[in-house]
Amino acid sequence: MAILLLLIPVSLVLMAIAGVMFVWAVNHDQFEELERHGFDILDDSPGDEHS
Amino acid sequence: MTLSTISVADMHCASCATKIQGALRGLPGVTATYVNTARRQVLVEHADDADPVDVLERIEALGFHPNLAGSDTTSRGQRELLKRLGVAGLAMMQVMMFAIAMYAGAFEGMDEVYRRLLEYASLAFCIPVVGYAAMPFFRNALGAWKQGLNMDVPIALAIAAAFLVSLRHTLSGSGEVYYDSVVMFTFLLLSARYIDDRLKARFEGTNATLAALPDRALLVRDGATEPAPLAAIEPGSLVWVEQGNQVPLDGEVTEGEALLDESVLTGEAVWVRRRPGEAVFAGTVNRGAGFQIRTTSAFDATRIAGIADLANRAQAEKPRIAQLADRVAGVFVPGVLTLAAATWLGWQLVDPSQAFVAALTVLVVSCPCALSLATPAAITAAMTRLRQRGIVLTRSEALEQVAAVDAALLDKTGTLTVHDPVLVGMERLEGTELGDDELLDLAAALQRHANHPLARAFPEPRRARVDQVQVVPGAGVEGRYGERRVRIGHGGFCGAAERHDEHAVFLSLDGVPVARFRISDPLRTDAAAAVEGLKQAGIRLTMLSGDSPERCAELARLLDIDFAARQAPETKLEVTRDLQARGHRVLVVGDGINDVPALAAADVSATVLESSHLVKSKADVLLLGRRLGALVELVVTGRRARRIVRENLAWALAYNLTAIPLAALGLMPPWVAALGMAGSSVLVMLNATRLLRNPRSRSAAAAAAPPVDPTVPPLAAVQTG
Repeated sequence: MAILLLLIPVSLVLMAIAGVMFVWAVNHDQFEELERHGFDILDDSPGDEHS
Repeated sequence: MTLSTISVADMHCASCATKIQGALRGLPGVTATYVNTARRQVLVEHADDADPVDVLERIEALGFHPNLAGSDTTSRGQRELLKRLGVAGLAMMQVMMFAIAMYAGAFEGMDEVYRRLLEYASLAFCIPVVGYAAMPFFRNALGAWKQGLNMDVPIALAIAAAFLVSLRHTLSGSGEVYYDSVVMFTFLLLSARYIDDRLKARFEGTNATLAALPDRALLVRDGATEPAPLAAIEPGSLVWVEQGNQVPLDGEVTEGEALLDESVLTGEAVWVRRRPGEAVFAGTVNRGAGFQIRTTSAFDATRIAGIADLANRAQAEKPRIAQLADRVAGVFVPGVLTLAAATWLGWQLVDPSQAFVAALTVLVVSCPCALSLATPAAITAAMTRLRQRGIVLTRSEALEQVAAVDAALLDKTGTLTVHDPVLVGMERLEGTELGDDELLDLAAALQRHANHPLARAFPEPRRARVDQVQVVPGAGVEGRYGERRVRIGHGGFCGAAERHDEHAVFLSLDGVPVARFRISDPLRTDAAAAVEGLKQAGIRLTMLSGDSPERCAELARLLDIDFAARQAPETKLEVTRDLQARGHRVLVVGDGINDVPALAAADVSATVLESSHLVKSKADVLLLGRRLGALVELVVTGRRARRIVRENLAWALAYNLTAIPLAALGLMPPWVAALGMAGSSVLVMLNATRLLRNPRSRSAAAAAAPPVDPTVPPLAAVQTG
């Protein structure tokens, strides 16, 4: 059980990283549009690197 | 590089977005496009010298109505909320896991060192939740010093108290900790708030669709025209209006002669001529050649903007819904605080060690959040649904009344039918050597010169040539066809001995009537389906019309409804009052000035977009689309909204009433209270969002069914004889 003394602090660090990544993602518009991008796969026309 | 935001109000789905994105790809100067269907916006990154107007034109060519939008700040608050929600959610997962370990440990025995480790780890996750995610609650609660008690006061109090007591127990190494309750409570309340926010944003997004005026106008400067944004055109400027375009601003004609379709403002289907010096209004459509106007209004002061304001009236009333929430808070929050304090005092007498937990549990469990969210959330969701389907409520209370409607009075002309005359038949009257086709062609050739609304029912002429054409105002058109004198117009003008009939047009050759054309306003394409849907909803339908009994009977038989013919405004009012006196809740649908008394007396009044301004200002409901099926949607949504409000209120009340005694008696642990209270807020919000989805019941499926075939036969099927 002594391993918990290590693993729980590790989980703390991992969660902190996850939190930072989430905030970054929100700030960079990753959650602005959740519906449309699924349809991009149907679009055959050649690339448009930004979207 | 410049970034332009273009709002496309009529872009509804992901495939529209793909279409727009495809069309903009490869446009010179455009480096990237980003389409957002949730906000109905297109973001375009382009070279500084590229004109965003080219982009607008591309989108317009696809049939959308784009507008250059200012930068928007509405989503910043939502983004903040999402971040807080995410942080609270991540922390909750961890803290709940530790909590389960601690509960298990409490039963099976756990080394002191692990218990303390789990407590400190929970504390570490709880700090960002209290210090960051729960900030809005603390901020609002502090605001209560100035604005009076609000719902966030008990919430903030509960979070702060639970956290501080847990912190003390953790540091001292003995006593209960409530970190799990704190994070769960915060997370669930933020969820409810996030859903509420999304709901409101969707409502506002759908709101902008009404005044779809062009974004630019052709400004005349030094004899040349150049496109200019509408907002930049000051009153007194000269503007050129091209054929087929909407007049962009109110103004008066300075050059040329305008032939206008003003139906958007007046509801009159007749095209009108406006000579130099006469007034024209924004939103009307130029059906003739181009002309020049001097503007008399700014873009936000036009008559059509006034109509858009009217449609936004319900939104202006939203504070009233918010007031309701405040009233609930004003009544309940002092009660909640008193109750918590009383619990604490009571337990001091019995068992002081239990006092804090019991008081905290009461504080959490009795918070009437769900109660205050129940009604506004359902109303916002219902109004959003209706607005998305082209139905505008001008009073939010109308929704409650719609749910109670069990009788409807429908005006015939302009409501069940549209002002768009079609030719339904031709009869030959006297012997003539001309064939049917030639007669029709001849009539069409003459009618091309007429400015009468009925003339629009005729097709384009093919071969017939008429010359020396003369328009006789109020009678018809005369011309020469080869050696013969031809006339088209009403019976008297063409020598027919028939009484005046406004739906018949005659053709005469050398004074002898040879053909009679029957013209009629067609039924709205989905009138039959709409009538059927309303009947299925248990609504008693009556058609009211100023028309003759024969004409009404024909239509009423087709639709299988009751009718009352030759109705004057007063009798329409009487019919309405009579139904109400017999205990019916009446929906009146009309479009004319003559319907206004009945509309005003009705429990709910609805009108169509083509009706006049006065009618619109009196109506509770404005149907923007051409489909009458909107009425079915209106009634069905109204009833669903009523049911959901009742469910929400019943649930919230039942929950509060049963949970408070349990909490006060100390029979409920704090985490159950937190789950129950915040969970019921989320439940109430999710229940409200059900309104945005389509129901599975059969009556509503009928409402969503596609319109049936037009009931007016096409010309080819008409017999001649």
